[in-house]
Amino acid sequence: MSEASPRWSLAQRRLHAWGGILVVCTLGLSLAMVALPMSQLLAKFLAYQLHKSFGLLVLIVTLARLVLRWRRASPELTGISPRMRQAARLGQAVLYALLLIVPCLGYLTAQAAAGPVPTTLFLFIPVPHLLDPSPALYAWIRPIHQFAAWSLIVLAGAHVALAVRHQLQGVPVLGRIWG
Amino acid sequence: MLPALPAHAQERARYVFDQSIGRIGFSARHLGIFTSVGQFDRFQATLLINPANPANAAVDCVVETSEVSIPFPGATDLLRSEPYFDVARHPTARFQGQANGLTEAGNFPIAGDLAVRGITRPFRMTARLVERQGGIARFQAEGEMRRGEFGMVADRNFISDIIRLNVDVRIVV
Repeated sequence: MSEASPRWSLAQRRLHAWGGILVVCTLGLSLAMVALPMSQLLAKFLAYQLHKSFGLLVLIVTLARLVLRWRRASPELTGISPRMRQAARLGQAVLYALLLIVPCLGYLTAQAAAGPVPTTLFLFIPVPHLLDPSPALYAWIRPIHQFAAWSLIVLAGAHVALAVRHQLQGVPVLGRIWG
Repeated sequence: MLPALPAHAQERARYVFDQSIGRIGFSARHLGIFTSVGQFDRFQATLLINPANPANAAVDCVVETSEVSIPFPGATDLLRSEPYFDVARHPTARFQGQANGLTEAGNFPIAGDLAVRGITRPFRMTARLVERQGGIARFQAEGEMRRGEFGMVADRNFISDIIRLNVDVRIVV
């Protein structure tokens, strides 16, 4: 591990930004793929495929972030109370857990769905399905995927809101992760 | 399984079967990436055949289009809708065919007419006796239709024009 710096590294800052963008895109695609009528079959199929593709990218980016975080010391979080610092660490841990769990649950949901639609990364790279379609598994794993995904969105929103609040209160947290 | 109606040796016997002992399925390709598979859950078919000489078979099959099923959410209703089987106006589809007495590598063609959505077109299937064990004979048949020829032109950018049909039936001979 290298010595702690006041900022996250450039790679970490970039991956953090890309992770956020990918989560927002994946959410938007999930709303679109469900809302699109069957009469727009191609658009619906593409929305599903892109949702799965972005979701898998979220998983890859999160794993990369965890590797970097493990290899490099985290910048010191100063200017907030120890209790708030602990809460921030806990929140980040739950966010990381959800960023791993939600794509994995989505991957399982896609495999368990009754219609065996393949998963292809951006329509080019086939992603193998390890499970056979299982309506029973699909019936309980899909709502868990949805609940976990919305939990991620709510928690990420709170994460952003608190960061902005700290910044407005004079604690320069945004500079550690942006730019 | 239904027993054969009385018939003289070397003559065709008449078999009537439905979804309880047979299966009529179909498949389509999508963007060259994957294949979807469905079936008709209700049909009635009459087969005139001499299992010892199936190349003289004749078949008449009527499927109830509202009983189409495909395991994708929303897709069954889509197939029942006006751009596809239009089940409200065309509740049945029918194939009537006759083999011509010729066989090739165990396969025998059955040519006839396929009526879907009120449109009748020539249609050809290739059938074969898959196995005969004890008193049970298993036949399979396959054919390709172009859905566009029957007015099913929706979603051509996603669903192939060529639809493969397949039949699988076991009869007591």
